Amino acid sequence: MYMKLREIIARLYLAFMMAFIWLPIAFMILLSFKTGGNVSFPIEGFTLDWYGAKPKGYEYISYVSVLYDSAFWEALQNSALVSAAVGAITCLIVTATALALRHRVVGRDVLFYLILLGFIVPGVSLGLGHVLMYKQLDLEFTFWSAVAVDLVFTVPFGLVLMMARFDPDLMLYEQAASVLRSSPSSVFRRVTMPLIKWEILTAGVLGFVLSWSELVRTSFVMKGTGVLATYIFNQMQINPVTPKWYAAGTIIASVSFVGLILVGYIMSRTAK
Amino acid sequence: MAKLTNYVMLLPGLITCLVFLIVPLAMIVSMSFSTYATTSVSRSAAGALTFENYVKFFTSPQTPTILFNTFGMAVLTCFMVFIFAYPMAYILNFNIKSNIVRNYTLWFLTVPFLIDWTIRTVAWIPILGESGIINYILMSLRITSRPLTELLFTRYTLMIIWLQTYVLFMMFPITLALQRIDPDLIAAAKVLKAPPWRVFYDIIFKLSLPGVVTGFIFVFVSILGDFITPGLWAGGLQTMGLSIAWYSGHFVWPYAAALSTILLAISLVVLYVLLKVVDIKKLIYE
Amino acid sequence: MADKMVTSKDLVKWYGKSVLALNKVTFEINEGDFFVLIGPSGCGKSTLLKVMSGILDYDEGQLFIKGAEMKKVPPHKRDVSLMLENYALFPHMNVFNNVAFGLKMLGKDASEIQREVKESLELVGLGGFEKRSPLELSGGQRQRVALARALVIKPSVLLLDEPLSHVDYILQRKLMEDLKNLHKKLGNTFVLTTHVQEHGLSLADTMMVMNTGVIEQIGRPDQIYSNPRTVFAARFVGDINLFSGEVTSRQGDTYFVKTEWGELQASSSKEGPDMVGKKLAYGIRPKAIKVNDEALSSANQFKSKFSGYYYFGDAVECLFEIVQGVTVKASLAPEAVSNLKPGESYTIGWNPADAKLIEKPSVVEGLNIEEVIYGK
Repeated sequence: MYMKLREIIARLYLAFMMAFIWLPIAFMILLSFKTGGNVSFPIEGFTLDWYGAKPKGYEYISYVSVLYDSAFWEALQNSALVSAAVGAITCLIVTATALALRHRVVGRDVLFYLILLGFIVPGVSLGLGHVLMYKQLDLEFTFWSAVAVDLVFTVPFGLVLMMARFDPDLMLYEQAASVLRSSPSSVFRRVTMPLIKWEILTAGVLGFVLSWSELVRTSFVMKGTGVLATYIFNQMQINPVTPKWYAAGTIIASVSFVGLILVGYIMSRTAK
Repeated sequence: MAKLTNYVMLLPGLITCLVFLIVPLAMIVSMSFSTYATTSVSRSAAGALTFENYVKFFTSPQTPTILFNTFGMAVLTCFMVFIFAYPMAYILNFNIKSNIVRNYTLWFLTVPFLIDWTIRTVAWIPILGESGIINYILMSLRITSRPLTELLFTRYTLMIIWLQTYVLFMMFPITLALQRIDPDLIAAAKVLKAPPWRVFYDIIFKLSLPGVVTGFIFVFVSILGDFITPGLWAGGLQTMGLSIAWYSGHFVWPYAAALSTILLAISLVVLYVLLKVVDIKKLIYE
Repeated sequence: MADKMVTSKDLVKWYGKSVLALNKVTFEINEGDFFVLIGPSGCGKSTLLKVMSGILDYDEGQLFIKGAEMKKVPPHKRDVSLMLENYALFPHMNVFNNVAFGLKMLGKDASEIQREVKESLELVGLGGFEKRSPLELSGGQRQRVALARALVIKPSVLLLDEPLSHVDYILQRKLMEDLKNLHKKLGNTFVLTTHVQEHGLSLADTMMVMNTGVIEQIGRPDQIYSNPRTVFAARFVGDINLFSGEVTSRQGDTYFVKTEWGELQASSSKEGPDMVGKKLAYGIRPKAIKVNDEALSSANQFKSKFSGYYYFGDAVECLFEIVQGVTVKASLAPEAVSNLKPGESYTIGWNPADAKLIEKPSVVEGLNIEEVIYGK
């Protein structure tokens, strides 16, 4: 297969960038298996200790293997729950809003920009704002506070993506259905939903994915162990960096991997 | 569909927006006018309106450095990310013909972004650190005689890490915009005697601007708000984000609020300017 | 080859591995000709235009424009302009900049561009539209902008891909007039594609009939109309009644052709091979068919039932059923039809001299006469 020089350079560049993006992850996975307490080279030996070795008595968190780090699993569970909630709610809000914004409602542009604002506001500012709000109302931080802060950011993202992928003929199909005497709820169930179900799913998965690694905003409103991101961040501030954290990262990565297989599957089904 | 249904459907989005976005922002702005010394959160208890927080900021000797660190770095990094991301989007769209390959590549590129932040950045130690792989290679090839310590904990580290973190966020909107370009426009330009580089500049690039701007906005804002990466990696580099986090952590709400407001205000100005250049609505619903 | 504007020799173009869009296409276009490519959808006319303009490359064969081989020549180096079927106006530029684009690419200076664009827009009837955005224009206006844009760079060859297809009837007529006038005025070589044969007949100096990647016939419209060389060409250019049959004998100047439902007569020409024994298609144009009294003097006469008609304003297309399943279309003046009652039996007839005998079903191999007559 003869390819022109231009094509070769293009593919090389893409490969280079992919390697660049993957570099830290690749090293993380590799080094999660190394012996010794530091995270750098050289690698003396390979071990699975960081993943599952029994703790030998009291040890600093950094030396407790992932399997036995109960705080880690708690954080993982919290992350999963928060992200699932964010994904589900994002999905609902985004779908409703995207569908409604197609029509000329009063204040359409204003609302659109307002939602987009959630995207633009720097994480620190938003986080601080939420803190102030909770303190003012004398409320505790809970599971839902993390969900709320993530939503501000995932909804605009999902909205833009969903509206950009809407089939322009969708409204025509809906009109055709109503001309054929279909009631509005029926139109929605039988015409609209099937046509956009993949987009809805993508919005949900996107919400999940974005909130999963969301750190800045969430760090303001978590308490206790918190979400994975905050847990690890907090630990890193006070503990030495050991391969244990790489092991943790590898585990998180594999969970995310599964999530992305889903997205990849959806994308291939709706390739345009 | 009845008009009313539309309005009802907009409610969830509207409520989320108002409660979780507008109210917090309003609180920040109002808080920023409280006196510095108060630790109370309530505006009414804090006493009269005052500008002292803003004055404190603008007269502080560290302010120019902080502003430069925050905004200068953000702008610089944005451009750097753009330079790397645009060719990626272009190649993905125009050089890869097979849809399957393209989708798998996109998928493959996205996976690293699901990995937790902190760990992802910590994973740079074995690359840039003193005993890391780059130094190892450089020393083996005798390019340097001692390990470079400048790779880690400097501005440049920050930019490299940010590049790795955000290049995909810049690439996606650009890819979306490129996908939407009607191939007939490119054919028409060619027939109208445009040489390849002009076909690119006048047609492809200009039509992809909404995507570029979207990418810029997102990356710029994310960097502005990111106090974690500089906190972990930039040694003593001070940014506004870090300041805000510090003051919040120490319960100095008014000052933190003032800084947040300034940060927000400048973000909005940048956004406004960028939107004037390009109308994003075209990318989305026209 | 020196005075031919475009020469094509055995041009072959594949889409992927399985679709052969151009199958050894060979033709020539004279300088200053108004050349019309007609054929059904998918016959390769758009592909041919794209290959001529350089947007698509060809796989085998040769293409010469003004005597130069075009194999490695990109579109921006050819003296060819193309107006696409969907106009492809640049949405991010106003009308002026759209039309000026080609001139800018050619490096003309600003004052020259100003002048030429203004002139071009006036030529297509859009003077004063410079500042408008393409998104605000109607379909017909957009087309004129696309036309102005293609013309302003004064190409030696102007290619137009289905310019008459997405426009309403009145606008079509106007556009055809404008194109004819423009051509007369400017003198460039025009190449136009359409799937409506009337357009070809009225506009063309030379017409080329295409069918799934091959050329059925090239010639002047009146030549193709009166002497179609294949059944496909006969069917595609001008309306025609076609029946498959076999020539049983010849007496003097007349051939006798046996069909399923009767014996038809056709005139033979003095030159030309003897057709006796050949299986071929017998064709007679609707205009040549007479009814009632006028039919009585024709050599071909048949009793038939008047089964229906289509009113076209200045002519009426009448259907006469001779036997079950065999209907003849006749084109009559409205006055003649007013006396006829549907369902009644009338005599129809025609002159053997008006009949056409066509041996070859189509240039496309492997088709028999019935397939081409009834459409595959």
